[in-house]
Amino acid sequence: MSLKLTLKKKPSVPVEAESICPDVMEGLDLKQIAALPLHHGNEQVTVGDFFKVTGKSNGEIRLEGDTSRFKMVGDSMSRGRILIKGSIGQHVGVHMSGGEIIVAKNASDWVGPEMSGGRIIVKGNAGHMVGCAYRGGQVGVTGGEIIVHGNAGNEIGNTMRDGLIAIGGNSGDFTGVGMLAGTVIVLGKMGWRNGAAMKRGTIVSMEDAEMLPTFTYACSYRPNFLRLYLRHLRDAGLPIKDAWINGSYHRWSGDSIALNRGEALIFDR
Amino acid sequence: MSAATETKTEANTKTVENATCTFCGCLCDDMVLTVDVDAHKITKAKNACVLGKALFLSHEEEDRPFALIDGKPATLKEGVEEAAQILTNARFPMFYGMSDTTCEAQRQNVALVDMVGGTIDSTTSVCHGPTGMALQGVGESTATLGEIKNRADLVIYWGGNPAESLPRHFARYAVTAKGMYTPRRKKDRTIVNVDVRRTKSTPVADIFIQVKIGADFELLWALRALVKGRKVAPDIEKRTGVSLETMQDLVERMKNCRYGVLFFGMGLSMTRGRHFNAAAILSLASDLNEYTHFIATPMRGHGNVSGADMVVSWQTGYPFAVNFSRGYPKFNPGEFTATDMFARGDADAGLILAADPGSNFSQYAIDHMKKIPMIVLDPKLTHTAKLAKVAITTSHYGINTGGTAYRSDGVPIELRPCLESKYPSDEEVIRAIYKRVEQLLKAKKKTKSANNKRRKAA
Repeated sequence: MSLKLTLKKKPSVPVEAESICPDVMEGLDLKQIAALPLHHGNEQVTVGDFFKVTGKSNGEIRLEGDTSRFKMVGDSMSRGRILIKGSIGQHVGVHMSGGEIIVAKNASDWVGPEMSGGRIIVKGNAGHMVGCAYRGGQVGVTGGEIIVHGNAGNEIGNTMRDGLIAIGGNSGDFTGVGMLAGTVIVLGKMGWRNGAAMKRGTIVSMEDAEMLPTFTYACSYRPNFLRLYLRHLRDAGLPIKDAWINGSYHRWSGDSIALNRGEALIFDR
Repeated sequence: MSAATETKTEANTKTVENATCTFCGCLCDDMVLTVDVDAHKITKAKNACVLGKALFLSHEEEDRPFALIDGKPATLKEGVEEAAQILTNARFPMFYGMSDTTCEAQRQNVALVDMVGGTIDSTTSVCHGPTGMALQGVGESTATLGEIKNRADLVIYWGGNPAESLPRHFARYAVTAKGMYTPRRKKDRTIVNVDVRRTKSTPVADIFIQVKIGADFELLWALRALVKGRKVAPDIEKRTGVSLETMQDLVERMKNCRYGVLFFGMGLSMTRGRHFNAAAILSLASDLNEYTHFIATPMRGHGNVSGADMVVSWQTGYPFAVNFSRGYPKFNPGEFTATDMFARGDADAGLILAADPGSNFSQYAIDHMKKIPMIVLDPKLTHTAKLAKVAITTSHYGINTGGTAYRSDGVPIELRPCLESKYPSDEEVIRAIYKRVEQLLKAKKKTKSANNKRRKAA
């Protein structure tokens, strides 16, 4: 039986809730968990002020209720699992290094920023800056997986160095901007200026995309690695078509302003 | 810059020399103002441009109550008390504005937000905030306007219309100004204008390049590629509206000039791509330093919006969108920017200092502002003041109040007020609120610890 946190009342302003994390809650009894701190705006409150705490702490946390105003859930998480029944606020899984977070509805901006391992699954839509670096940071995601079933906003995988980000729907502008390595797969349509200033790494899209003038067309081919990735995503629940697994892709290399070792693979209909 | 002098003449008029105009980011400090002391009016504003004249000559102190609480007249003390109560009880207050006030008032405002654990943002976030984010990422090659005036022989205006928004920019700094190494004024300079349409600034340019709407980033990116010697596909014209030949010609001019400048406006920072557009132009200037000296600098609008960046930076480490909820500064544009915080419905109170978001924010943001207690400090009854719970009337900076303001290139300039006002300055009001909030917070802390003790004992 996992630990269940049921929302008692909606916060009037956003709450920073880095205490909601298996690493912090593991081994504590219900009373201790209810006494853990949360930051309701500029006021320090406790988990018990907002949540009814039931069950047993065994590494799995279930969040129930409308938690769309709770930020930083799963901050620096390294193990265990968080199941979020509703939507979640900004910075979910920030600096995460292991474990799994599953969001049943939508996630706000900054999903898994600067994460280094583990997996985040968002069943609905995600906001901007999925798997990115914070402003002023040089390196974004360095490992792990983020899978968004719906759409996502701008700057997906900004300066990511490793790992996988998959978007089931469409993505916004500057997908994979400044990528250092890693993989971004968008099953829908990407916005403008994708892969700007990317050094290495792979951006994949199943829909046509306009490329920047600093990307050059290389060839059309069937990349073997992509079959493995797409099968993996199919297992993770994304609707991967057979045509995508077996089909060929246009390869564009760029960004010539940076190192020109990156690639954009656009499905060849 | 010579010192300001005041001379009284017979007809009970006085003149203030070297007065500073606070209308736009040029902060021209060579006005000569003639003041009719009896009529309490400025009658002449020598050297002022059309915007400066409009500011000084039409200045009239309205007879307004010192404060309005829920739209009803109140004293200053009552206004300050009400404002202090709102801020003490707020959990996530938003402090916004600061572009039309002195650095001294901005500094007090930062101290206040720090004490109450709120969030501070300036009008930068809706003009050149993206430029601030860009230069954090890619750095900047910059100079003062004085250096530009003396040295620049290639001046590129991109996505801005200084002829209408900064009217003396051409004459004082970059086009017809006489410089040490540009003695023949415009004849010693090549002026380029890049914009999506012809504007009033276009006639001054030797070369006008019309870029398609929403293609600035692509054009800048292609120019960067050409500067770096990379290939650019000829079909670039289809996307940007600018031919490859025009781009190559511009690149040759940029590489071969003695000292080049890229002035850019909100045509880059506030269109699709925002901080990436600004990063692209800043990077282009950096790339060109392989060949010659090149700089890129934003053209700032409001009088002291640069000052807001400066003050918030030296006090918190970040230029705008800074949150103090946890007691230490956190910077995150998008999360802590005023327009986003209001539109998402995050803020539970607001203090607007010398700005009018009620007239230019999104409807979502304005709707939320109507729901929460707002405090507004402004000389005029602005749209925001009308929807505020507390509106405190303050004097006009630069006309009634002295202090410091930063020019758009980051040079601090002293203000030289010419008229007295019965209303307090922004700084005085913020100081008064600060003092009262400090008392209230102490009392609140005392009650809280007494309650905790009682609970423990029980």
